[in-house]
Amino acid sequence: MTLWFIRGLRRGVVTTRYPARPDASARFLPAPPAFRPRALTAATADLLAATCPSGALRREERTLLFDVGRCTACGRCAAAAPDAVTSSGAFELAATSRSVLIKEIPLRGEAP
Amino acid sequence: MTTEQTPQELRAAIARQFGRSLHIRTLDTGSCAVCEQEIRLLAAPHYDLHRLGFFFTPAPRHADLLLVTGPMIRAFEVAARKTYDAMPGPKVVVAVGACALGGVYPADPFTHGTVDAVLPVDVWIPGCPPSPLALLHGLGVAVGRLAEKVRDLTFTADDGPERERAIP
Repeated sequence: MTLWFIRGLRRGVVTTRYPARPDASARFLPAPPAFRPRALTAATADLLAATCPSGALRREERTLLFDVGRCTACGRCAAAAPDAVTSSGAFELAATSRSVLIKEIPLRGEAP
Repeated sequence: MTTEQTPQELRAAIARQFGRSLHIRTLDTGSCAVCEQEIRLLAAPHYDLHRLGFFFTPAPRHADLLLVTGPMIRAFEVAARKTYDAMPGPKVVVAVGACALGGVYPADPFTHGTVDAVLPVDVWIPGCPPSPLALLHGLGVAVGRLAEKVRDLTFTADDGPERERAIP
């Protein structure tokens, strides 16, 4: 404590950066899914949209719209399509505009 | 709405006037109370909200920041508007949790489904429930101390080696 205080006085810094170090419990937190575009076909996207209980997923033509704000991190999409969906590990998701939370995930290009 | 400020001006005013002391009023508009549990955890020694200059207040007249949880049930609309009007400006409204952001309940005769249907929301914190760490980050974003990270996240993963799942 004393050392820390003297060091702070010398540097002129009284606070630490946020976060001072990564929180050990952070990796146990439920996180919204991340999608693999290369494994994401239109059929899979439709399946995921039908699976999502909170309406966070919606397919629009060649993109999957993912509303992070609606996601409850229940993991049902990852269970329905384990090849295409994984955990993003992100939890600091606060946004200053609602539209920032709506993400466009590209689908896999289908062969002609 | 009594303040006619842009969000940037509002955040600048908040940082100037409440840089070291900001009082929070929580408002439950029909949540399942798990968000409240996480909010209560903010005052625990592990997270220690007070070291950052945030304090909980029991009255909206003393509050600078309104932490709103739940899907805004219609029966609560009048109380929510009165709470907002009772707060002195400048004031910030933070919507907390998937309910407040429209994820759990659709708009129907009983609920509005989202908080922004009734109150002018400044910061949205997703999560069901958002962890205390996520809430701390959201409060930091609300007062302009921390940058929002979600803008740069794409929520896509490449086909590289399987990433270690947090919980097997």
